[in-house]
Amino acid sequence: MRTFSYLLRESWINMWTNRTTTLVAILTTTFTLACVGVFLLLYVNLRAAAGWLQDDIKIMVYLDERLGSDSVAGVEQHLRGDRAVASLLFISKEQALGEFKAQFPSESHLLDGLGQNPLPASFVVALSQAFRSPDAVKRWAERVRQVPGVAKVDYNQDWIDALATVVRSIELVAIGIGVILSAAAVTIIANTIRLTLFTRRDEIAILRLIGATTSFIRIPYLLEGAVLGALGSALSLVMLKVMYELFRQQMRTTGRFAGLENLMAFFPPSVCLALVAVGMGLGFAGSFVSIRRFGEAKA
Amino acid sequence: MIQLTHVSKQYDQRPALQDVTFEIGKGEFVLLMGPSGAGKSTLLRMLIGAERPDHGEIVVHQKNVTMLKPSDVPYLRRKVGTVFQDFRLLPKKSVFDNVALPLLVQGVSSVDIRRKVTEALRAVGVEHKRDQLPAGLSTGEQQRVCIARAIVNGPVVLLADEPTGNLDPSLTSEIIELFKLINARGTTVVVATHDPLVMAQVNRRVLTLSQGRLLPEQRVME
Ligand SMILES: Nc1ncnc2c1ncn2[C@@H]1O[C@H](COP(=O)(O)OP(=O)(O)O)[C@@H](O)[C@H]1O
Ligand SMILES: [Mg+2]
Repeated sequence: MRTFSYLLRESWINMWTNRTTTLVAILTTTFTLACVGVFLLLYVNLRAAAGWLQDDIKIMVYLDERLGSDSVAGVEQHLRGDRAVASLLFISKEQALGEFKAQFPSESHLLDGLGQNPLPASFVVALSQAFRSPDAVKRWAERVRQVPGVAKVDYNQDWIDALATVVRSIELVAIGIGVILSAAAVTIIANTIRLTLFTRRDEIAILRLIGATTSFIRIPYLLEGAVLGALGSALSLVMLKVMYELFRQQMRTTGRFAGLENLMAFFPPSVCLALVAVGMGLGFAGSFVSIRRFGEAKA
Repeated sequence: MIQLTHVSKQYDQRPALQDVTFEIGKGEFVLLMGPSGAGKSTLLRMLIGAERPDHGEIVVHQKNVTMLKPSDVPYLRRKVGTVFQDFRLLPKKSVFDNVALPLLVQGVSSVDIRRKVTEALRAVGVEHKRDQLPAGLSTGEQQRVCIARAIVNGPVVLLADEPTGNLDPSLTSEIIELFKLINARGTTVVVATHDPLVMAQVNRRVLTLSQGRLLPEQRVME
């Protein structure tokens, strides 16, 4: 117990003695990890968005122009019997026209000039959970295209795919930046610990002489590194959270992308904790590197 | 207690110790004499595993120091107290905390630390300075604190490297008396010094090094 409080106190004394360096190290780590955090947050949100869009995918099954109502019922029967189909909505030619006119009032005269309604009847299909992956959607669409009476199967997979590609690139960038900046954070902390080790080298020599084990000597420095890393990480999360709230505020007041600000999410608490743990690990690694080098120089 | 067989050590091709063989029994008080540069400090450093010989074998307290794993060295040092010319106290810690350090690194309980540190400080006569910083003490008192730290563990061997090098003659004899007292309680004591005054005071077994070689021994009878 006394030993433990001694080690804690030593750690604290180390940080307090070199408080300027300690502060600089924490702040540099904060900014470094915040940069990683921005990309991580962007990535998490876009991936969630891609997920929702994929989940929300609607497939338009357009029917043949000349189809009688019996055949329409036949197609409906077929779709209802398909276990991939979760829900089904029939849109008649008239409903399609009405919707078009409602959505594009200025262009409605184009259709009037044609005399007759050119829009086909269709079914709007939502697929059940297990069939919503891009591959499954594609396979399902190809199968339904063969059904007699079906003219065309359409779905907005293209831009969902495009979004998925963007998400994947951001993932790569986030990993790349994460690795580089994490290495930077490790280096910053390693340098700080090296300074502490240097200022206390006489004391370390004395501890060795009186029979302190290597781990006993190392603990305060490892602790110091871990604390620096954890503090840097926690502060970077605070900074990100503030930036995130400001950004949402901005979106709400300008009114652009209305509603989107409610879909945006910050890291859940578990991820925040994990990020602090990662920061701690980086700090630990940083002090470990310095201690190893210091030890070798002594031997 | 301490046994060296054909121990040699070179620094940059210059021999610091050459073929040194001797044995020190339990409870002995031995002076390690010789002019500066004779190899005394090198020899003491080897006894606590701070330096490895190029050849030969060293056994301390039944442990073969030459074969000791680095991770076992701390446990040897808990059995061997060391005293230095320059005291090596931690300047920012009180006398009490300095002396408590060897116990602290072993995880001794607070109660035992208090008891043993108080005992050690009393034994060397600086109990009244326990809450002061080393800088507030005279050199003689600092050396006493250093000795208290070396004996607080109850070591089997006490090694001292020029312990009186920074002290005037009257303080020197006080410190020597202290070593004799510690020795009388059963601790083996080895004092390295080039100070003839110490030899006159001690009047015990003397090992003499000259340019890294051990000179033939002359027993001094009390
Ligand atoms: N770490 C070292 N590196 C190089 N030479 C050393 C080192 N330590 C001691 N020596 C040399 O070894 C010889 C013995 O030194 P030392 O053991 O300190 O003698 P003493 O303590 O008797 O004065 C000297 O010539 C010294 O210069
Ligand atoms: Mg010397």
